[in-house]
Amino acid sequence: MNGIAWPLVGLASKLLDRDEREVVLGDLLETDESAWRGFLDVFGLYFRRQGGLWKESRPWFAAFVVALPCSYLLMYVSISVRCTFERLVHHKVYGWHWPTGHEGFGLLLCHIFLLVTWSWSTGYIAGSVSRRTLWVSGALSLFPSLLCLPMHRAASLPWFCLFLFLPPAVMGAIQGLCSARVSLRSASLLAVMTSALMILAWSNHALWNLNWILIWPSWYLVATAWRSGSGSRSGSFGIASSHA
Amino acid sequence: MMGEFEYALVTVAAALGEDAYGVAIRDGIEAAVGRSCSLGALYTTIDRLEKKGLLKTWMGEATAQRGGRAKRMVRVTPEGVRAAKAFYQSVMRVSRGASWVEARTRRTS
Repeated sequence: MNGIAWPLVGLASKLLDRDEREVVLGDLLETDESAWRGFLDVFGLYFRRQGGLWKESRPWFAAFVVALPCSYLLMYVSISVRCTFERLVHHKVYGWHWPTGHEGFGLLLCHIFLLVTWSWSTGYIAGSVSRRTLWVSGALSLFPSLLCLPMHRAASLPWFCLFLFLPPAVMGAIQGLCSARVSLRSASLLAVMTSALMILAWSNHALWNLNWILIWPSWYLVATAWRSGSGSRSGSFGIASSHA
Repeated sequence: MMGEFEYALVTVAAALGEDAYGVAIRDGIEAAVGRSCSLGALYTTIDRLEKKGLLKTWMGEATAQRGGRAKRMVRVTPEGVRAAKAFYQSVMRVSRGASWVEARTRRTS
């Protein structure tokens, strides 16, 4: 393999696990294959490994039950929060009156808190359930916002208001990825506070009914922390500790 | 029952004995089957067979020829030998009387 191609194949091999990378690079060096065949071998192995992950239910759950539907709802919450902020602070009114068109500062703060906790818990679950396919979950969570970007640009909304949910979601995903444990106490506190604020917003007619779906990630965290706690007591692994 | 490629891999690995590792097995398969074999196909099949308990793998020594990188050594387990033997016998049974093995069948019967 020539001098230019080899570093490129080495770079592509970073997609593989450390041990496997060593073995594959060693094999390619030993056989002195062409750069093209080397690339095919590395990418072929990577895509076969990725394909193998999708034989389990976890990646499907993380991508199509957690990331895609939740990011679709969170995108609308982001727009709603931004519109309310513009109305209250800059007295600009966008064509977005329901259900948050009558919100004051109190309900705006409530919605900001909810946006952060919904996004964080969704990201945490996507990151902890299937970390090797997190890039797919991440791409799917951007999909609704990217799809709606031209439409909202026409409505003269700043582009970033579609992505307000991303920073807390990314933070949650990183913590989920690093297997950061959420204690049962913290998870319960988060779920109870989220539920209480959702009830508050709903009782003030400031919650879109579909947003009730976003309550489940925080309660899922409670269930995970509880199972993980009882699992470690009995010597088995909890949901958060196992990854596809 | 194991598949055709799995059988080829186990057979080549068994023939190589102590020298069975990725590149050697791939070369053996390519020579026997006459088709190229990708590292992706090889290592995912090795993983699958290891999960079934038909192979055992471990990291071998690093050599200068490989740029100081380790080999993934392979050994066929007794279960692997049994599974390969069962596959071979079933292929022989199902082939009995087939036109392309007629001469051999007549000679052996």
